[in-house]
Amino acid sequence: MKTSATVRIAAAVLGTAAVLTLGAALIPGERPSPAVTGTSQAAGEIPVSATSVKDTIRALTTRLQRLPRDYQAWAQLGSAYVQQARLTADPSFYPRAEQALARSLALRPGDFAALTGQAALAAGRHDFAEAVRLARLSEAANPYGQGAQAVLADAYTQLGRYGEATRAIDRMMALHPGVGAFTRASYDAELRGDRTTARRMLERALDDAFAPSDIAYCRYYLGELALHSGDLKRATEQYRLALKAAPDFTPALAGTARAAALSGRSAEAADLYGTVVARLPLAQYVTEYAEVLSSAGRDPADQWALLRAQRDLMKESGVKDDLTWAEYEADHGSPALAVEHARAEYARNPNVVAADALAWALHRDGHDQEALPYARKATATGWRNALLHHHRAEIERSLGMDEEARRSAARVRDADPSFSPDLPALARFS
Amino acid sequence: MELRTNRRNLIALGLTGAVAVSSLALLRPEAGVASSHREAPMIAGDPRNDNTDVYAFVSPDRPDTVTLMANFIPFQEPNGGPNFYQFDTNSRYNIKIDNDGDAKPDVTYQWVFRNEDRRGTGTFLYNNGPVTSLTDKNLLFKQRYTLKKITHAGTRTLVSDGIVAPSNSGPASMPMYSVLRAQSIKWLPGGSKAFAGQADEAFFADLRVFDLLYGGNLSEVGQDTFKGYNVHSLALQVPKKDVALRGNAGRNPVIGVWSTVDKWSPRGYVQVSRLGQPLVNEVVVPAALKDAFNALPPAKDADVPAVVKRVTNPEVPKLLQSIYGLKAPKTPRNDLVEIFLTGIAKANGPIKADLNSQSLNKDAGKLRPSEMLRLNMAIPPAASPNRLGVLAGDLQGFPNGRRLGDDVIDIALQAMAGAAQTGKLVGPLAAGDKVNKNDRPFSVQFPYIPLPGNTSVNAG
Repeated sequence: MKTSATVRIAAAVLGTAAVLTLGAALIPGERPSPAVTGTSQAAGEIPVSATSVKDTIRALTTRLQRLPRDYQAWAQLGSAYVQQARLTADPSFYPRAEQALARSLALRPGDFAALTGQAALAAGRHDFAEAVRLARLSEAANPYGQGAQAVLADAYTQLGRYGEATRAIDRMMALHPGVGAFTRASYDAELRGDRTTARRMLERALDDAFAPSDIAYCRYYLGELALHSGDLKRATEQYRLALKAAPDFTPALAGTARAAALSGRSAEAADLYGTVVARLPLAQYVTEYAEVLSSAGRDPADQWALLRAQRDLMKESGVKDDLTWAEYEADHGSPALAVEHARAEYARNPNVVAADALAWALHRDGHDQEALPYARKATATGWRNALLHHHRAEIERSLGMDEEARRSAARVRDADPSFSPDLPALARFS
Repeated sequence: MELRTNRRNLIALGLTGAVAVSSLALLRPEAGVASSHREAPMIAGDPRNDNTDVYAFVSPDRPDTVTLMANFIPFQEPNGGPNFYQFDTNSRYNIKIDNDGDAKPDVTYQWVFRNEDRRGTGTFLYNNGPVTSLTDKNLLFKQRYTLKKITHAGTRTLVSDGIVAPSNSGPASMPMYSVLRAQSIKWLPGGSKAFAGQADEAFFADLRVFDLLYGGNLSEVGQDTFKGYNVHSLALQVPKKDVALRGNAGRNPVIGVWSTVDKWSPRGYVQVSRLGQPLVNEVVVPAALKDAFNALPPAKDADVPAVVKRVTNPEVPKLLQSIYGLKAPKTPRNDLVEIFLTGIAKANGPIKADLNSQSLNKDAGKLRPSEMLRLNMAIPPAASPNRLGVLAGDLQGFPNGRRLGDDVIDIALQAMAGAAQTGKLVGPLAAGDKVNKNDRPFSVQFPYIPLPGNTSVNAG
């Protein structure tokens, strides 16, 4: 769950905000042109691609010029900006989202769709407590809205409130079984160590998906499941299918790079990462790239510089992300700084990934006794995550707890035979 | 004025659970490139599981039968990517009938689908050559269906191997689509017929009419928002006694009709879409209740105060007053309660007619108000149907059931302005949305809905 920025937050919003009435729906004259993905337009050829978020924003903006009192369109627009921020890794869209959503609420106070949008925005900025607060307001306004449940599921997960996350997912499933609910149910199962259910739920999600991006998403996470259990071949195949569905789905390219690196093909991996980072310079990808370069004996300095630039951009835009920096500093920088970041992160979001980051930072900074309880907490949900168990094993070993360390090490191998301690970023679950 | 060139190519879009005005598609932006962390997909449209329209009418060519139709998957672009122009094989599609007025289904017709996909991994194409019949080898992908009838007496399979009339993939691939349509119609014992397949989108309306809800007005109208698109249709034609209370259409001629889609979940099927009358989501149910409406069965409607309040104290008439100076009729609008929630009967409210309430059925029990399309099967097909239905004196028309040709937008606007109560059409609204009929003529026989088009909407 790591990764940087946000972790699993449902971009849910847009669609939700778009539970519309006619008025807020864009009618054909307002809709943007389709993005042609296939080479042929023959019926049955590559599935139609849904409108890009950018086109949606444009269409909504046009509509709002004509009908500035359409509060639902404002809510949709706000949600679209939130989504755009995620997709482009550019947080400068957040202020625009904020404005659009505020306008919606000014026109129609308490509108559930705008509240969901605000909740998603808060989540996008990593203020998960605020996301919960807003999502619950939305839920109160519309108890049947699945968008609010999606944000709740994701925000509770970030806050380490796993029971509540599961309940939100159950509510989503009871409202509308579909890609959104199935993918979250999958992750929920994964966190509890139930890989079988995790895979099954992703397959259900895949079955329900029709938009290329959703298909790619499901394929990608099936790939990740395989990757992090050591089945590199299957992982590569799933990433390939993801890219077949949506050739510009960068995460699948990153997955391919990961599989190549873990298979020992570091030159190929480095090439792929180069492309990935050029397209979408998320901290996660940049870090993986740098680690792969290092392990291949090449100089990662440029990537570390890029990473620091990303950090500054995030900070300027009000995005709180101590997790990324805790992990980076612990593995590649100053452990003392790592501890600072990790404590800040854990204080805000006491989830298993933050617990792991704090445990590892403390260990790297020489405080194993203090690290141990956090390492235990990190592995408490049953997640079969090699990196978490590896960190715990190292801490136990440092403390002379040989039996426990052996057990933890065994769990690493059991979880992922292809795990490499030299490439920790690649083991971080997305 | 030819407005085609103004309309840009539409990509079929998802409809998030909301039925909106029947056939209204929702914009569903592509999730595109997700960031590295687990960004679960947006809650987006689910077109395959979306009700768009429900129709119910006494069959004009076989007046001892009634035709029931439910449409799904809106705004299908002819020749467009049909990956979701197919029924969801994990769902159950229902047409439900309440014939005793308790708001619970007494008869349910349920369709379930399965794929026959011979494409393998080589192609996405639905056919690799001209398709001249439903069993043509060149048709690589089709769907089959099972149709069941569920009543208090049990479940009976009516069709076990129906074939869904395929998506029209163009004049080269399907030079005589009418043949495919004809072959897809299933004759059942007792003189019933069943159909499932792609069809022309029969709903006609200029949706911009409802911009008035957001500060717009009725000035920009006249363009059929749905022109040129296709839809997926389920239709049945059955003897009236098959759906009447106690099998007696003479004593109990009124039926309430609605459609739902139930989707599979690990804990059982979940109702994700529901539709009875058209335009309920526009003029009756407030935005915050749309999700609830889609999830709830009609039996629960009466428990939702916000719905009832919205009917008795509607927003649209106030807007019409502020924009056109049309005096909004006094609230509570018990006439609208009749139209939308109980059916029209003298004993039910101010409209002076016994038209289409289950309370008129001699063997019915107490009526529970609920939103559904109510049809009085005793009223014979009109010799000259009027698109304004009951309001124009054509008692066979909407809101007494709904025929394909009924201009529900105009009828709804008139009803909102009080026409049902006064018995007089409201002058300033006479033009309505200026879209008075479908672009393609309806057929004279089952399933009446035109063949699916094969010309791109943007063909210019």
